[in-house]
Amino acid sequence: MSEPSPAFPRERSGTRWQTEVEVTHGIGLHARPSVAFTRLAKSFPCAIEVAVDGSADWLNGKSIVKIMGARIRRGTRLRIRAEGSRAEEAIVALGELVRRNFDEDRKHGRPDGRPDGRPV
Amino acid sequence: MAAPMAAPMAGPSELRGKPASPGRALGPAFRAPAPATQSLPAGGDARAALAVAVTLAIEELRVLAAGADAQSAGVLDFQIEMLLDEDMLEPALRRIARGEGAALAWAGAMDAHIATLVADAGFPDKDALAENSERRGSGEDAFADDVERRGSGEDAFAARASDLADLKQRVLDALAGRARADFPEAAIYVGHDMPPSLFLAHDWSKGGGIALAAGSTVSHVAMLARARGVPMVIGLGPLAIQSGQPLLVDGGEGLVRLDPGEPVADIPVPPAVLPAVPPVAPRLEPVATEGFRLSVNLNSLADLDAVDPAAVDGVGLVRSEFLFLSPAEALSEERHVACYRRIVTRFAGRPVTLRLLDLGGDKALPGLIEGGPASLLGERGIRFLLAHPELARIQARAIMRVAALGPVSVLLPMVTLPTEVTAMAELFDEEAARLARLGVPARRPPLGIMVEVPAAALTLDLFAEAAFFSVGTNDLMQYLSAAARDNPAVAPLNTGSETALFRLLAQISAGARALGRPVSVCGDLAGDPDAVARLMALGFRDFSVAPSRLPALRALLRRPATAEG
Repeated sequence: MSEPSPAFPRERSGTRWQTEVEVTHGIGLHARPSVAFTRLAKSFPCAIEVAVDGSADWLNGKSIVKIMGARIRRGTRLRIRAEGSRAEEAIVALGELVRRNFDEDRKHGRPDGRPDGRPV
Repeated sequence: MAAPMAAPMAGPSELRGKPASPGRALGPAFRAPAPATQSLPAGGDARAALAVAVTLAIEELRVLAAGADAQSAGVLDFQIEMLLDEDMLEPALRRIARGEGAALAWAGAMDAHIATLVADAGFPDKDALAENSERRGSGEDAFADDVERRGSGEDAFAARASDLADLKQRVLDALAGRARADFPEAAIYVGHDMPPSLFLAHDWSKGGGIALAAGSTVSHVAMLARARGVPMVIGLGPLAIQSGQPLLVDGGEGLVRLDPGEPVADIPVPPAVLPAVPPVAPRLEPVATEGFRLSVNLNSLADLDAVDPAAVDGVGLVRSEFLFLSPAEALSEERHVACYRRIVTRFAGRPVTLRLLDLGGDKALPGLIEGGPASLLGERGIRFLLAHPELARIQARAIMRVAALGPVSVLLPMVTLPTEVTAMAELFDEEAARLARLGVPARRPPLGIMVEVPAAALTLDLFAEAAFFSVGTNDLMQYLSAAARDNPAVAPLNTGSETALFRLLAQISAGARALGRPVSVCGDLAGDPDAVARLMALGFRDFSVAPSRLPALRALLRRPATAEG
């Protein structure tokens, strides 16, 4: 896990950390980005939730069904919050994943960003 | 083997039972596992069954993903994540809590999920969806295309519906795989009784036979054995037979000989050829002369090879529940279409009557419906279908798609009240409208009813909504005599109620005539020449029988042939 970037915008209230990021990926959180997002979310022990634009509906960030169901498209403002152990680290990692366009540019990588060990 | 059939008494190496299906078969015994292992309790167990199937499906996907290229692995990873998500299982578990079997609960929940995706996004291509579920494993390439092609404007979210259809089928297959247990080819099946699904899943072309401790000559499995020409003996009582022990089953005499020590050459090989179809069939024409019609009953696609379509007036009854050996197949619209299309094209232009799934009783599909004696008076036939409309809708759509190719009509099983016909007609109308919206070629077929519940038989005048009637004599007899057809203890009561049956048949014949609706007889009674003579006296003209009964019936019904093209 990368060190939390000191420059990444985030706020804290008690044990909860929250950030907001704009989805710039060409399509949005469709299948592959959703896999990347939820797999990364599930690698953290804290509770992680997301909300779309101004919605007050917080969805389980570890559920691909919920993430897909939210139909998060390009231009969506995505709020990510986490509470519990390693919460700050989690929101920074997830926020950066969204900013990196879910590593989709690395066309032959696996959706969760791990290298697949194959020659390109 | 000089004349083993002449032996009137069962010696120490012989067991005497009752003949259930003629023919002789020699082979090693296969002892079926104890019945207790065959019918696990439903309810709480359905949760466990689904959980196991989902785990199996995830493992399969992981193996596939490990060997796949990066893009394919992307699709598979998505499917794995979906299956790992508790939110994915939750709707299915809710359905199980309401009493549905694992397969139906899963299929119903997934269909609902898919329908939401499709409805929300106006998913344009339903055929692609169905196709995808058929060609699992090669569906991966669609993924990369989605990303590229659907990126601008089209809805990449809705495209995921095809992944869900794929997942649905994979888990259903896993559920079925757990339930299926075949036995070696050419073996003699030895057990207390035999579930029809096991009979149907087995390849009998290499021979083999059936020896049952209990069983009944009028059970479904006996009916299937006779139609397929598999020798079968029932009512043998407690069996001290080891797996692998050589056995001779004489289905004509009702005898089983242990360690017969006979040269195999003495046994007709393969014994499971249909005895009633002559190897060189004379040119036969349909018997649609003098107002008589002779049609054939089909229990499997294998039966198609046993029938010369030109020699019959059509298919009077397709027992569709026997065409699908697992819930996965029964819940696959494309699988239904493939089966019906084969039948309709083979009988080019002749009428084909498809009966909707008559599940329940001894016709179970574990995971979908557990069956059992209690369901004979419970949710069987149309009752089960109306209680689980997802299944009925799948079948209705498939039938209507194939009905566009040839003359197809539909039989509703186990109808008790006219309201059931109305409800099913509405379901067909709704699905017809849906297919029309999607631009899928389809035709809404006429709906007729099986006359097998006494309450319906006594009130045919109330069933004007039915386009035709077909009398299922086996079940009518069972319900009329309140004696189960597969319980040897009450078998004499069942067969002894013939007088009551014929009185009711007279009333049915008159009732159908008064309504101006065609009526046919498709039960075992129609295959018995003596009974057919009595049926003719009552005014019945339309009979549908197993392939093996065609020659006897043709001889009986045939009138001096008029010109026939």
